[in-house]
Amino acid sequence: MQRLAEIEVSADELAAARAGDVKVRGALFARLAPATLGIIRRLVRHAAMADDLLQDTLIAMYEHLDDFRGEAPFGVWVRSIAVSRCLMAFRSPWNRARVALDSWTEDPRAATESDGRTSDLIDIDRALARLSPVTRTVVWLYDVEGWSHEEIALAFERTVSFSKSQLARGHARLRTELQAPRSMALNIPLGSEFDGH
Amino acid sequence: MDTEVNDTELIAKLRRLDAGVTSTPQFDYQGMLDRHASRKARAQRRQSYARGTAAALVVALIGASFWRLDHQGEISPPRDDGASAALVAAEPRIVRADTYLAVAELEDHIASIDDALNVARVYAPRGVEVARLERTRAELLDSYAQVRYAEMVSANF
Repeated sequence: MQRLAEIEVSADELAAARAGDVKVRGALFARLAPATLGIIRRLVRHAAMADDLLQDTLIAMYEHLDDFRGEAPFGVWVRSIAVSRCLMAFRSPWNRARVALDSWTEDPRAATESDGRTSDLIDIDRALARLSPVTRTVVWLYDVEGWSHEEIALAFERTVSFSKSQLARGHARLRTELQAPRSMALNIPLGSEFDGH
Repeated sequence: MDTEVNDTELIAKLRRLDAGVTSTPQFDYQGMLDRHASRKARAQRRQSYARGTAAALVVALIGASFWRLDHQGEISPPRDDGASAALVAAEPRIVRADTYLAVAELEDHIASIDDALNVARVYAPRGVEVARLERTRAELLDSYAQVRYAEMVSANF
């Protein structure tokens, strides 16, 4: 699967999509949706919520096509919309209550995604799932998506030290999780989802 | 896994995880538009219900205010015997819609935290999760007490 940040869209496609060409918009969906869902699922573990956020992201993308200035690849722009939608979802009080309750149940769709992967990848996926949403997002954006601490701080509307401390804490927890015997691991998010530092 | 896991190894694993997973959306472009349209319709319905309820509340509050003005002369001063409490309870009450919603939401949230606490205590009675939930519950209770106090002060003002 192509990474979202690497997806480019030609000027012709963009012009047609802006003009409302349904065929081109459908083709854009087909190219962008899997990668966008991929990053959303990394940040938001709940499958139904991820589907809703994918929908919100892509609808926002179609509605704001005129705002895309072409300074970065199209996928990078879509990724920033997806991340900001995820952060908005984390801040919602309904989501906070749901996370507290849902942390005790496995997501059935997440379990099926483990098929075909090596055991160390399944281990890291589970360890990642046990991090709080905020810590997980910081770890993923920094380590995998290549965001800087400044960019993360801007997205969270926090300080650079917030990003650094969340990352350090996330790494420490992942290390602990990966070193712990598998039988000891419970599906409990460690720490607060919205802890400051 | 007995070996030390360092940061470089960790990051490499995370990147392999990113490359190894394919996510397939549950809907196509048309499906997304349909989902969006139905969600928008639901939101509009909810908004019109909320407007209707708010309008009904305003009418009820205005009506109750007029009723109180009309009957002010008829209300006798409270007596000191035990029957006065029953008389007060029987009088119509004006519910403050603004604080009512906040109180209801706080009560629901506290109840959901209680449920989560019960489950958390089964797995790890002295765990981090229990401590976190207890902290959250204490904060919610504090907010609840503040809203109740504000309600009381505002009612007596």
